[in-house]
Amino acid sequence: MRRKVYISMKIRTIKLLVKEGTSNIYKNKLMTTASIITVAITLFFLGIVLLLAINLTSNIEVMKRDLDITVFLNVSATDFEREEVATYIDSKIEEGVVSQYRFESREVAFENIKNELKNEALLKGLTPAHMPESFYIKLTDPELSDQVISDLTKFSGVNTEYGIGYNKDRLERLEGILKAFNYVLIFLLVVLSIIAIFLISNTIRLTVYARRREIEIMKYVGALDGFIRLPFIVEGLLIGFIGALISYFLTHHAYEWLQHMLNSILLNLGYTTLRMMEFAPVAFRIFVIYAIFGVVIGGIGSMMSVRKHLNV
Amino acid sequence: MIRFVDATKVYSNGVVGLKNVTVRVEKGEFVFVIGASGSGKSTFLKMIMHEEAPTSGEVYVNGYSIHNMPRSEIPHLRRSLGIVFQDFRLLPNKTAYENVAFAMQIVEASPREIRRQVPLALGLVGLSKKAKAYPNQLSGGEQQRVALARALVNNPSVLIADEPTGNLDPKTSWEIMDLLEEINQRGTTVIVATHEKDIVDTMKKRVLILERGELRSDEKKGLYINEN
Ligand SMILES: Nc1ncnc2c1ncn2[C@@H]1O[C@H](COP(=O)(O)OP(=O)(O)OP(=O)(O)O)[C@@H](O)[C@H]1O
Ligand SMILES: [Mg+2]
Repeated sequence: MRRKVYISMKIRTIKLLVKEGTSNIYKNKLMTTASIITVAITLFFLGIVLLLAINLTSNIEVMKRDLDITVFLNVSATDFEREEVATYIDSKIEEGVVSQYRFESREVAFENIKNELKNEALLKGLTPAHMPESFYIKLTDPELSDQVISDLTKFSGVNTEYGIGYNKDRLERLEGILKAFNYVLIFLLVVLSIIAIFLISNTIRLTVYARRREIEIMKYVGALDGFIRLPFIVEGLLIGFIGALISYFLTHHAYEWLQHMLNSILLNLGYTTLRMMEFAPVAFRIFVIYAIFGVVIGGIGSMMSVRKHLNV
Repeated sequence: MIRFVDATKVYSNGVVGLKNVTVRVEKGEFVFVIGASGSGKSTFLKMIMHEEAPTSGEVYVNGYSIHNMPRSEIPHLRRSLGIVFQDFRLLPNKTAYENVAFAMQIVEASPREIRRQVPLALGLVGLSKKAKAYPNQLSGGEQQRVALARALVNNPSVLIADEPTGNLDPKTSWEIMDLLEEINQRGTTVIVATHEKDIVDTMKKRVLILERGELRSDEKKGLYINEN
């Protein structure tokens, strides 16, 4: 005896409900503005920290690429001693520890020093035979450097007088900062999202309250649940999206200011390879992240409110 | 058609709203539901519209079973019913016309259907001339007519009215009751909960008398018998 009538929403209806959700935004100006600002601020802080983290990551990559172990052989080192070291490095390539290496012969070293020291007097009497041979070794993972360096010091041909060059400290410091940034990012993400969701849900609650009579009548007349809910969901999504939009412009300007400032500081400190990247290449990615985040926060906020206060 | 089978409603606070009620209302009938305050009249009507579900027994309305009804079916049940309350429940910021049209928008009628049906419904309740008036510009009786037009505009098979004349003077009450009878004569089942002794006695319709949640009597051409 049961009748089942399937009623889906018509496009016209959806348009009507979206319009209604949009107009709710104006009706409740104070709370709506507060929610939009909250979303914007939330995203702004998240975005700045995220951009700094992206910068650190890319600078760390650059440093890792440039980082190599510099091994000088003794000036007196024999061919056999050189081959010992080369064989060791080849075996490390096979193990996947070393990604590549470069050998610098006495002749090349002599040419290099000649180009660097333009002073003829200093070069007087200097021949390739006075120059040490050297290896420049790139590792697949900087973590493996300690082992490789300690292996290398054991070869008789290796000059340990000046030590084996490897500048890992700065890398480790940056990686430490990156880790801290990631924690801050997660912390901000959780705390600020909760605040934003709470505010949005509260805004929607006020709209639900303001429209409770309409909602009651809608229920008695037989409105579908989705029909009653949709305007509120639209309202939440819009709050999230507008907040994201505002935040995107704020972030864009704040970042470019930060970029110029930090770049000149880095330059003054003498870092030539460390640079803050441009905003343009990541602009679209940031925009998409913001839009998704804003819409998701808005959606969750309104769903929560609708479930709790609408009872449909 | 509406059927209560041994239907009982115990509210969450333990109060018994309705107790073992078995009754059947056929299509096209006009039924008064009477009884003292707290006897269960509103509970009886709320079960029909699934505002409350029976805690035991069954209630069948237009082919839907109210006990354990899936949420998704409720809107469909409601669309087969017209509902009127004592306090009219019109939207103050909409005109009479817009209040009636609202009920059609909600069930996704086309703008053409709305333009055709709303004037007919307002005409049926005798309010064609007040279509543009806002509720606060209308008398109580006129407001209840708008509410009736809204309840009828989607052509429900059953009209449920919970003390529709409770806020109206006797003369206006009579006008509303006459209107309900007219609606009934057009084929709509009408169920009215009321305290109006004179009207019930005069109209000689079927009368269900509730007493502390129980169905005490069911008279074909009943009179308002006070149980005290
Ligand atoms: N939501 C509720 N929760 C708890 N008890 C309720 C609820 N609604 C009604 N009741 C109780 O159920 C009983 C029947 O109430 P009901 O509203 O059906 O009476 P009624 O006949 O409509 O009374 P009235 O003539 O005053 O409108 C009463 O004792 C009432 O207090
Ligand atoms: Mg009542």
